[in-house]
Amino acid sequence: MHEYAFFLGCIAPNRYPGCEASAIKTSEKVGIKLLPLKGASCCPAPGAFGSIDLNVWYAMAARNLVLAEEMKKDITLICNGCYKSIWEVNHILKHNDELRDNVNEVLAEIDMQFKGSIDVWHLAELYYDEKICGVQKIKDSVTTPLTGAKIAPHYGCHLMKPQKERHFGDTENPMWFEELIAALGCEPVQYRNKMQCCGAGGGVRGYDIVHALDITNEKLINVREVGADAITEVCPFCQLQFDRGQIEIKEKFGDVYNIPVLHYNELLGLAQGMSPQDLALDLHAIDCTPFLQKVL
Amino acid sequence: MAENTEPRIGVFLCHCGTNIAGSLSIDDVVNYAKTLPYVAVADQYQYMCSTPGQKKIDDAIKEHNLTGVVVAACSPRLHEPTFRTATREGGLNPFRFEMANIREQNSWVHMHGMWDEATDKAKDQVRMAVAKAAKLEDLIPKSVPVEHAAMVVGAGVGGMQAALDLASAGIKTYLIEATPTIGGRMSQLDKTFPTLDCSQCILTPKMVDVGRHPNIEMMTYTEVENVEGYIGNFDITLRKKARGVLTPTEATAKGIVGGGCNGCGDCTDVCPVIKPNPFEMGMAPRKAIYIYHAQVMPLIYTVDFDSCVKCGLCVEACGEKKAIDLEMQDEFITVKVGTAIIATGFDLIPIEGKKEWGYKRFDNVISSLEFERLICASGPTGGHLIRPSDGKTPQAVGYVLCAGSRDNTGGVAKPYCSRFCCMYSLKHAHQMYEKIPGCKVYLFYMDIRSFGKAYEEFYYRIQNEGAKFIRGRVANVLEDPETKNLHIFAEDTLLGRPVDIEVDMLVLAAAIEPKEGANVLRKKFGVSASQDGWMLEAHPKLNPCGTTTAGVFLAGVCQGPKDIPDTVAQAEGAASAASIPIHMGEVELEPYFAICMEDLCAGCGMCVNLCPYSALALIEKEGRTVMQVTEAKCKGCGTCGGFCPGGAIKMQHFTTPQIAAQIDAFFAGGVQ
Amino acid sequence: MAAKSYNISELDNKLADRRYHLADSNPEFTQKILKTSRTIANMCYQCGTCTGSCPSAPRSSYRIRLFMRRCVLGLENESLTDPDLWLCTTCYSCTDRCPRDIAPTDVIMAMRNLAFKRDIIPKNFLQTVQLIYNSGHGVPNNDVNRAARTKLGLPADPPTTHTYAEFIPGIQKIIDHYELKANADRILKGD
Repeated sequence: MHEYAFFLGCIAPNRYPGCEASAIKTSEKVGIKLLPLKGASCCPAPGAFGSIDLNVWYAMAARNLVLAEEMKKDITLICNGCYKSIWEVNHILKHNDELRDNVNEVLAEIDMQFKGSIDVWHLAELYYDEKICGVQKIKDSVTTPLTGAKIAPHYGCHLMKPQKERHFGDTENPMWFEELIAALGCEPVQYRNKMQCCGAGGGVRGYDIVHALDITNEKLINVREVGADAITEVCPFCQLQFDRGQIEIKEKFGDVYNIPVLHYNELLGLAQGMSPQDLALDLHAIDCTPFLQKVL
Repeated sequence: MAENTEPRIGVFLCHCGTNIAGSLSIDDVVNYAKTLPYVAVADQYQYMCSTPGQKKIDDAIKEHNLTGVVVAACSPRLHEPTFRTATREGGLNPFRFEMANIREQNSWVHMHGMWDEATDKAKDQVRMAVAKAAKLEDLIPKSVPVEHAAMVVGAGVGGMQAALDLASAGIKTYLIEATPTIGGRMSQLDKTFPTLDCSQCILTPKMVDVGRHPNIEMMTYTEVENVEGYIGNFDITLRKKARGVLTPTEATAKGIVGGGCNGCGDCTDVCPVIKPNPFEMGMAPRKAIYIYHAQVMPLIYTVDFDSCVKCGLCVEACGEKKAIDLEMQDEFITVKVGTAIIATGFDLIPIEGKKEWGYKRFDNVISSLEFERLICASGPTGGHLIRPSDGKTPQAVGYVLCAGSRDNTGGVAKPYCSRFCCMYSLKHAHQMYEKIPGCKVYLFYMDIRSFGKAYEEFYYRIQNEGAKFIRGRVANVLEDPETKNLHIFAEDTLLGRPVDIEVDMLVLAAAIEPKEGANVLRKKFGVSASQDGWMLEAHPKLNPCGTTTAGVFLAGVCQGPKDIPDTVAQAEGAASAASIPIHMGEVELEPYFAICMEDLCAGCGMCVNLCPYSALALIEKEGRTVMQVTEAKCKGCGTCGGFCPGGAIKMQHFTTPQIAAQIDAFFAGGVQ
Repeated sequence: MAAKSYNISELDNKLADRRYHLADSNPEFTQKILKTSRTIANMCYQCGTCTGSCPSAPRSSYRIRLFMRRCVLGLENESLTDPDLWLCTTCYSCTDRCPRDIAPTDVIMAMRNLAFKRDIIPKNFLQTVQLIYNSGHGVPNNDVNRAARTKLGLPADPPTTHTYAEFIPGIQKIIDHYELKANADRILKGD
């Protein structure tokens, strides 16, 4: 069993608890144990905090990292926004002495110190990583293949970009997420401009909601164009933007899509035999029932 | 000069305008130099390299009866020869001269706010130079004869021009080409800018001239295997790759009278193996026995042994000519030449590495060389421009300039300007209007660099023909899965608006990089590469054709991106430079070679294996084994001298006492 | 040249000097951005790849290239007071494609940091600060969610600051160190 400190973030536990529940259960079936990271906070939101004062962003993220350093466990998480904060701040502070000293000066006030002794991983990359899990192991864990469903993959931005500082390779047309999706028995579909942003990041969702929704809408048009039955992603914030965004788009623009949006962990949970109730899919704004009837 | 007299050194400080004098105190250094031991005179001048500056050295040697000269100025790479000449003019052995580089190694790097520190450093440099100058010895350069032959590696337009010039100057010239035909990149082009000459029409006569010049020995399908020797006497081993086909001359030599390949092509008709033709950028087929195109020189077929199935049908078809030998092996021959010119050209970068533009992902995104073949009358479509996805004539075409050039992101991208993409893209736009009336052409550019003669006028002409120039670099390209049309996303930076332009086809003016294998080749010739990967010229302005290896010269794009006029011009320059030592008949070698002090040599032979130039050997002499230096091969690198456990190797001009004196002078500091 | 004024606001507006003067440029602004963004923002050559990649550009007047230009020239006021500054979704597409290897996204973040120092900041950003200050979460739990969590077999509150409230004072100490909460309250009250 590979053990990790499970960094929850905000939206997964507090809006889509199915993401949290499915992450814990699905990962265990492929040999990954998620331990609670007690006392963790918001990552903090890279768009909001980063825009206000990067130094606070560094310090707040560092505090979360120190909690895991004290557990002597690497962190895993299920949100691209959290990945941006936790992975990137870890990376920056490991490599930038000046910033690390500044952060540690502040952390000293609460008897903490950033040491740089752990690594940070997105659960999806652990799933894909042959050394930890790998696509085959995911495939082997499937009991209820989600056959017949066309799934539009949404990679999101902050997991893989900026490419140079990350380790995921190509960000123009990556295919690794498609492999993970195909492992569940469903068909990943290609659609126009799949790497485009969901529109929510950088504080834009709060600052100018119709602007953010217009970006989302463009993606939804492209997804509908290829007849996708659902969208899957690895970021609850993107999920929120696509899921609740569809309701807001209907209200503000009048466009109706009804395309269910599921976190990859939720999809994996279904494929491993979890029921829709186990995943609290009823909390999704877009009704998942037609999709569930198609695949289950 | 008598050796036993006390050394008398003259020190000369150069201002180099304000290059040096603007960053440190020349007066302080001159006054300091006067206090140093052995210094008989110290002086300064605004430009020591000028005639009055050199005269100061000349006069001072005579007036002060100097035994050594120190000039503190720029890099010895620039003016050591100048001041050596001045030293000789004054009556001293020219190797009684030592240079202190207080420009590149001092004033230029300590330009701002380091006046005192730079002055102190200059004092250190001068003190060290004086210490060495006091121990310099007379050296006599050796002369060696120069072989009356030259080699040109690479038979594109640059290599061909260089070979023609050398040959016409009466020099036997070996023209080496790795592919089966001469002609190079230029033979792949349809038209040339800005005159719109047909590329083949102006190149083919040159190819024919090369083929029939009595002084040119053209060796196609041949590569340089090994280079030994030095200026005047290079022994170059060539690998004649197994071609599987005999020329008439080779056939005759084997007793097959009237046989050998006559280029009839009967063999290719029967060959069952089909492969993509690299000359057509893979867009047309060729057989396993093939020629690139109809105008090849020499018109001799070649067997691609990697794909040949040895069915023997071609041998049968060839019949009595007996030109085909499917068991042929690579042959090695060694030729001796006095000088050599490298003219290996370029490849396009693998532009698929810039994923955002979709090359190799979207059918209708092509490279500029593919466009050349598609628009070329002798190309795979007979000059009918079609797009790859459906063979339709494109009505709207986009061009991405600086595709991977001027790009600092690493990977396949190149930070430099590839220098001819602007102009050929303009030409491509013109060809579109010429062949497809009413078409739409969009050129996405950052800057249009139309610097050559009549180039800017050509830009004007193309704009007037209707080409739309969009000042913005293409961000990404998306393909419409139904129509296979392409959407180009960019910003029209002059409008300040993002654009989404739908085209039928997109041409990437990909950056260029040194030809595959060029790195291996240049190392065989001891030629360095500059930071950008191209071969390094001896001096970017004053010796653009030479290299740091004496007798080896550069022509064309192998030294850096160039268009055809610049390539031909440099080729003629290189040919001229390469012919000089040959016509002189002999060259002087720098006397920086190692000397074995035989009474100290234990004959252990460790130095022999260390020598990177194979200049050392063990010999028997008076009953003892000692090392012997082949002076002409020795480059004076000092590897042997530094290693010799018995201290038996003396490096001329860099002797242990000379270097020790410099080190002592540095550590001693101050006034001695 | 002396500044002109016709003392007629309509004309002063219409005929205002549109030229760019040296006085408009603050070289320190460029330096501050270089330091905060940790990218070579001064090296932009205005190719427009950033704007061409930007999901916000086609639906607004936001031009990230324009902000890069302002950064190079040190046009501080123009940068920080432009409401378009807040339309970057931080998708980093421009950063991945920039041929100069600059991270324009991080330049925007640096400019936003500098804007905040001048109290220029959209309200929603500050509300997130207040939420995190009080609960540790930018998106805190609620009753509907608690019920759902319980049904899933999860604890009603996640094992974060929601369960371990003893960690909240530490978080507040960090935020107070930078006087972020006080500034957020002050700016929000002023609105």
